[in-house]
Amino acid sequence: MVKMPPELAVSLGPLKLAHPIINASGTFDVLEADKILEADLFHDFPFAAYVPKTVTLEPREGNTPPRLYETPAGLLNSIGLANKGIESFIAEDLPRLRELPAPIIASVAGGRTEDYGRCCRLLDAQEEVAAVELNVSCPNVETDGRALGSDPQQTARAAALARQETSKFLIVKLSPNVTDIVAVARAAAGAGADCLSVINTVHGMALDPWSLKPVLGHTTGGLSGPAIKPVALRAVYLVSRELDIPVIGMGGVTTSQDVLEFLAAGATAVAVGTANFRDPLAAARLALGLKELMVERGIGSVAGLIGRAQAPP
Amino acid sequence: MDAENFIPASLYVCPVVASRPVGAYRQVAFVAPEIAALAHPGQFIMVRRAGPALDPLLPRPMCISDADSDLVKILVEPVGKGSAKLAASQVGDRLSVMGPLGTGFDLEGEGPAVLVGGGIGVSPLVLTAGTLAERGRAVRCILGFRARQQAVAAELFRDFDVDVLTEDGSMGRTGLVNEPLPGCLAIEPGQPAPEVFACGPDGMLWEVARISRECGVRAQVSVATHMACGIGSCQGCVIRTKGSYRKACTSGPVFEAGELEW
Repeated sequence: MVKMPPELAVSLGPLKLAHPIINASGTFDVLEADKILEADLFHDFPFAAYVPKTVTLEPREGNTPPRLYETPAGLLNSIGLANKGIESFIAEDLPRLRELPAPIIASVAGGRTEDYGRCCRLLDAQEEVAAVELNVSCPNVETDGRALGSDPQQTARAAALARQETSKFLIVKLSPNVTDIVAVARAAAGAGADCLSVINTVHGMALDPWSLKPVLGHTTGGLSGPAIKPVALRAVYLVSRELDIPVIGMGGVTTSQDVLEFLAAGATAVAVGTANFRDPLAAARLALGLKELMVERGIGSVAGLIGRAQAPP
Repeated sequence: MDAENFIPASLYVCPVVASRPVGAYRQVAFVAPEIAALAHPGQFIMVRRAGPALDPLLPRPMCISDADSDLVKILVEPVGKGSAKLAASQVGDRLSVMGPLGTGFDLEGEGPAVLVGGGIGVSPLVLTAGTLAERGRAVRCILGFRARQQAVAAELFRDFDVDVLTEDGSMGRTGLVNEPLPGCLAIEPGQPAPEVFACGPDGMLWEVARISRECGVRAQVSVATHMACGIGSCQGCVIRTKGSYRKACTSGPVFEAGELEW
């Protein structure tokens, strides 16, 4: 009997992904990386879909440095959504991104729920954009110590306003910094979200070992990397078990085994974030490794693996 | 170096072929012919020990200290977990290396070069001094350190005219680099003005920028910031320049001293 190679392709709503690995917003700037790295990223693109850095209605210069600090198997950041603004993104970046051999998922954020609707209206007219992700969960732009995404009503309102303005595949990125993530997930889905990204970074801080003062210019930040994988895996498991819409799993994905586990926990696709900083071609290696792991374990397809951890024993 | 002359970097796994103490620092040499061939003074690499270990998680930015034919050398000060791990590299260990990265020093001028280094910041000045000398520029080095342990690194500049200072007077003259600097920046009538190339702690760079401005000479300074990606993705390494933040990894690490907002 000839064994068929495992099927890595998977559908995320209307998006056809060649394999389940995409990037987390803000962790891979293909336009910059393509200038710097010898690899021809527009041909050998490591991700099955591309999520550019979150954009806002107005340009933002971001938070006061230092913005980064490494912690055990983790990274704290307080970038603060530095971005050129949605209009420049549409005018300058999108025309170049359309050459990518992967669908584009635009990521947007705003200080008020209305901003999400206005961003979606602008993006709805862009044919290069396959889907929109609402970043309601960035921990670094809070004025009152709370992201909009920590409140189910506010999340629902942002999603509903976005839904009114676009027919594109609508993703809401959830914050782990809540008591009940399933409640926020239900609110987003009830307001019209087609898909959920689970999770954004985890609130954290670090002190300088000598001065004993906060290291980050913004005092607190968001923790990412392998240190948060168990937090993310639990959230993916709970949200995908309770809701009928697809989940993109993320949070500390670094190895092919991590990809396998997030799919088994219930994710339909998996995003690589901080691991891109460790190795900008990490995703390409993960896709190859995933195929090998599936052959080794006799797993025929990604689709058949999704949610396996949820089956009764 | 400008955008038109920009040569792309790549990723390599490189065997360590030499590792020796230089006072409080460690000089680590590894085989990286592609990087050695492309390296421009002032550029950097992102480097970590090869392998699956997740702590330390990210590569560290390290100045290219020297490069010749096949070898690239870095000078490491073990200050944190990442740098301590790199400093502990032994012959035969493998490093995961991406580079060369960033915008290095502009060496196109003609005047005498005054290189100012503070502590581990002397590292990129080794290749800079050598390259400037090859181009026929007069090179003078002013190197400042905390104490003798660090000042041993002045041996890397033995082919050049070097002024060594330590804060505690344990080697060379007692004092800071800003003391002898103005004396090296006199503009001779009819001659091209001196130029300053500096790398070191922020406080030193600030003083170098001020003195250079007062003497009316150009100063290029190499800054150090926390970096995650090294290739312009994460926006973490920004530094305040006139009017905006700029990324130290792509727009720098070398900046015109006058562009920085201190």
